[in-house]
Amino acid sequence: MTSMARAAPAPALRAERLGKRYGKAWGLRDCTLTIPAGAVAGLVGPNGAGKSTLLQLVIGLLDPTEGRVRVFGETSRAHRAATLRRVGYVAQDHPLYRDFSVADMFRLGRRMNPAWDQPLAERRAAALDIPLKRKVKALSGGQQAQVALTMALAKRAPLLVLDEPVASLDPVARLDFMGALMAAVADNSLTLIISSHVVTELERVCDWLIVLAGGTVRAAGPVDELLARHRLLTGPRTASHSGLPGVVHRADSDRHSSLVIRVGPREPAVHPAWQAQPVGFEQLVLAYLRGGSGARLEPDTRIEAVTR
Amino acid sequence: MTWVTWRQHRGQAMVSLAVLAGLALALFLVSEPMRQAFGQDGITGCVARGTRTAGCQNAIGAFLSSWGFTYNQALIALLIIPGLIGVIIGAPLLGRELEEGTWRMAWSQTVPRTRWLVSKLALVSAGLVAFGAALTGVFTWYRAPMDQLTGHFTEAAYDFEGLCLTASLLCSFAFAVLAGLAARRSIAGMVAAFLPWLALRGLTDLFLRQHLAQPLAKELPASASIAFGPNTTSMTGNAGDWVLGATRAAGHVFVTYQPAGRFWTFQAIEAGGYLTLAAAALGGAVWLLHRRAA
Repeated sequence: MTSMARAAPAPALRAERLGKRYGKAWGLRDCTLTIPAGAVAGLVGPNGAGKSTLLQLVIGLLDPTEGRVRVFGETSRAHRAATLRRVGYVAQDHPLYRDFSVADMFRLGRRMNPAWDQPLAERRAAALDIPLKRKVKALSGGQQAQVALTMALAKRAPLLVLDEPVASLDPVARLDFMGALMAAVADNSLTLIISSHVVTELERVCDWLIVLAGGTVRAAGPVDELLARHRLLTGPRTASHSGLPGVVHRADSDRHSSLVIRVGPREPAVHPAWQAQPVGFEQLVLAYLRGGSGARLEPDTRIEAVTR
Repeated sequence: MTWVTWRQHRGQAMVSLAVLAGLALALFLVSEPMRQAFGQDGITGCVARGTRTAGCQNAIGAFLSSWGFTYNQALIALLIIPGLIGVIIGAPLLGRELEEGTWRMAWSQTVPRTRWLVSKLALVSAGLVAFGAALTGVFTWYRAPMDQLTGHFTEAAYDFEGLCLTASLLCSFAFAVLAGLAARRSIAGMVAAFLPWLALRGLTDLFLRQHLAQPLAKELPASASIAFGPNTTSMTGNAGDWVLGATRAAGHVFVTYQPAGRFWTFQAIEAGGYLTLAAAALGGAVWLLHRRAA
């Protein structure tokens, strides 16, 4: 027991060679990543990248074709109450029963979740000025999203998974929603995974980033470490640097080229004709998304940038 | 899950009750004059004493010509009611969750989806059994005087009395649950379930039912007049026997028929068939839902 207590706490999420095949096509393949407890992780990728597949594997709506995913050390499996209990989930477009009242939705939550926190649900509804008697269909999109979030929070699960939570909201409702979300995360020491294709929404809140494209993980890690390990190089356009190692993405204009490259712990030595700059969050994400299947940050690899 | 199921289906339960009450009232109003005529025309006495006399034959003939259509041919149209109610309740049970995306909310609570589905199916089926039994009671009461003349084997009696109405209601419900899951849509699921249900009902009524048990045969004198179908004035001499065929040969008439006493045996066999199909469809839906995760 003592050795158990001393062991490092299990990560909130650990995926090992996780893969999901639909018919002949792989929706997600060879996905290995770790998200520590307490992280606010952003999952970025274009539509069809495998974001929803990954999230549904995590919460137990799907079973993997290969590999496995563990939430706080326990393997997620579909059809298991033990898996469903550990994860709060807000699905895309935050679906609720339209002819239920808010109180009905909370009652559903209470009937279907053993750890349901009714006072929390009612406190949040009161704070958000959402009348319990109002029907879901009479609520605004932002209020519906807040009710869905409240239900996920009142489930009292240590991991909260949100699939494109703000995609269908207007800018004000987006801000309100993200504000309420971050306050709840701080209050309840939750681990959070948010998928989005709106990169700017994630930049403000995430300390962990996963870039997913074409069903594979292109990059994953703490945001500050990822930013520190990449540079934006700009210089004269030449044909020679196409084969450089560590190039994530290259963009050419008439006379200049700009490259997002991976660097080691040391500042790279750059040819005087080139300039190295820190890379921004959005630049980094876009570089990995545009970089094609070759742009992939292998876990635990250190590639030295070689630029003459 | 009991409350959740009730909350999701209480609207349908109310509408079903309203349909039942409306039907009971309508049938009561139609039935009153017929019951009076049944007493006034001396038919009660005929049925008690035997219907072979010419006076009774005339009275029954006149009674049937004024009430036969309402109680036999027209009633058949109401046969689609259990089918319609079954598909209207069955198809959205999964179809609506899938088309509106609410399955992602419903199945990510701490109740695994197969348990969620089995609980809902059990509760809604129980409600449908109660509804079917009440509907059967209303129709049986409505038909009671006419049944003394036609027996219980005529479609208008057979399909509304006993076990078949409830069993076929469960069957259309089960088809619709499966179709709603397969089509991922409510309306498409309703249509996809109702058509095969209607075909099955028609096929059973018109072709299958008479073969559910080996018919009996009887030899009658050549003077017997041939009349097919279930009837009190049945050529077999037994009230309610269902005459399937008759051939005149060598100075005799050979009759094949299903005796009136087989009503409940037939009901049990036919209801068993509907329930088997219903169980297969519901089992298929649970299996498909379980497999969706793989």
